[in-house]
Amino acid sequence: MRRPLTVLLLACAALLGVAAPAQAHNVLIASDPKDGARLATGPQKITLTFDQPVRQGFAQISVTGPDGTRWEEGKTTVDGRKVGVAVRPLGPAGRYVAGYRILSSDGHPVAGKVTFTLTAPGPGTASSQGAPRDPASPPDAPATPGLSAQAAEAAQNGGAGMAVLWIAGALVLLGGATVVALRRTGDGGAPR
Amino acid sequence: MTATLERTSASGTAGRLVVGGLVSGALLAVLAATALTAQEAVPGIAVPGPLVEYGLPALRVLLDLAAVAVVGLSLLPRMLGFDDPGRTEPVMRRARPAAVTLAWAWALLALVVIVFQTAQLNPGSIPTPAMIAEYVDSVGAGQGMLFSAACALAYAGIGLLAVRFGEKVPAELRIVIAFFGLLPIPVTGHAVDSVWHDPIMISMELHVMGAAAWTGGLLVIVLLVSGDRELLARTLPRFSRLATLALALVSLSGLVNGLVTMALTPGVELPGALAGTHYGLLVVAKAASVALLIPFAAHIRFRLLPRIAARRGTAVVAWAAAEIAVMGLAYGAAVALTTASMS
Repeated sequence: MRRPLTVLLLACAALLGVAAPAQAHNVLIASDPKDGARLATGPQKITLTFDQPVRQGFAQISVTGPDGTRWEEGKTTVDGRKVGVAVRPLGPAGRYVAGYRILSSDGHPVAGKVTFTLTAPGPGTASSQGAPRDPASPPDAPATPGLSAQAAEAAQNGGAGMAVLWIAGALVLLGGATVVALRRTGDGGAPR
Repeated sequence: MTATLERTSASGTAGRLVVGGLVSGALLAVLAATALTAQEAVPGIAVPGPLVEYGLPALRVLLDLAAVAVVGLSLLPRMLGFDDPGRTEPVMRRARPAAVTLAWAWALLALVVIVFQTAQLNPGSIPTPAMIAEYVDSVGAGQGMLFSAACALAYAGIGLLAVRFGEKVPAELRIVIAFFGLLPIPVTGHAVDSVWHDPIMISMELHVMGAAAWTGGLLVIVLLVSGDRELLARTLPRFSRLATLALALVSLSGLVNGLVTMALTPGVELPGALAGTHYGLLVVAKAASVALLIPFAAHIRFRLLPRIAARRGTAVVAWAAAEIAVMGLAYGAAVALTTASMS
């Protein structure tokens, strides 16, 4: 059993190189406005801060008002650990929910919400798209990240090119091993 | 001749029971855990439909089980030994094609999982090839699955050679490829962004390999070897040493992983989070299933093994079937754990 064990350990060591991009679920550590905050005037922007950088694309924040009305404006932006979206001037006083769904750095989507209360009515009115949405309708298109951000992220996790390279390498390795095994078969006498 | 027939039919029924217990235990556990840990709906955010929400973990657990079976079938020649081909060859002749079939199932499941993961990220739309390509291109979890699928396919190729050429194709090669395909899967789960990242990853890989060797080894012994008392008497002691090592490895690395990951996550306080978060509850559930495994394993090891060594009949299949069903539950909880939320 010693030989396979050695090979296994070597395989493990080799794999640690691949294992590097693995990280954890992102956790929301701060938000502006804070969860449960009571505000006299509506915020112009919702900013959520996570413990680790959030992946470009896929991030989505919505702001839902007291009657299911929608108040976010424009697309959700991702800047490192901060995810934000602009908010139109809020309307009626009451409870607002900022819901989010982001792609965690380990590749799993993470969703959650931050609630705040508007104590005095603001000047805004609900937008035309503010009617309670049909849950089956597709979400807003996620923000398109800048080219440089995309490139940085591709460099960070190697991109599919690296994956193809790894697979090709593994196949070459396996093919070589198979050839060696077969040659040994040939030396060891005819199989049948 | 009559004895052979009896043996085959008996192990056939028992086999169906064992496989059924493992698969249904795992599916039951993962679906229950997914239902329990479902994130509450967030207003204004679209979530994937139930097909994706429940289908993805179900496929993931089936993939794990296929990989476990492949690992077990790869370990089988080492456990059987090579000195009595007259007795072991019939068993291996059943094991090799099964390994190839399961490796294909593993590879196909991994590819389907990639499609489901893409759908999970893009709720409300059916994944197109372009979306899948973008997903694999940008997300490490997709690349890990692809790598796993490639290893499974390579295994299928080597397995075919083994079907043709028998044990001339080294068993070690098959073991290594099977484990290699297993390794990228946990990389797509939880880990922590800190100096502890690498030790946790190593511990996680050991955990996965230990669990696969333990479950897979027991599975193939029950399915393929238990009908032959003489062979069982030779094989089980070898597996028993491996299982003891695996038990220690799995429980230790599992505890370390679960607790350290929680301790290092901001805003998570131990020990309260063990009962208060989905992640903590699943860690407790997995620890409980390992605790449940110990009496089964100990019974087989200390009560049944001496009788098996004396070539006497035992109820080892029933005990092992129960142990495997509990392992299935643990696998189900494990898949749910990879996506469970910390808060």
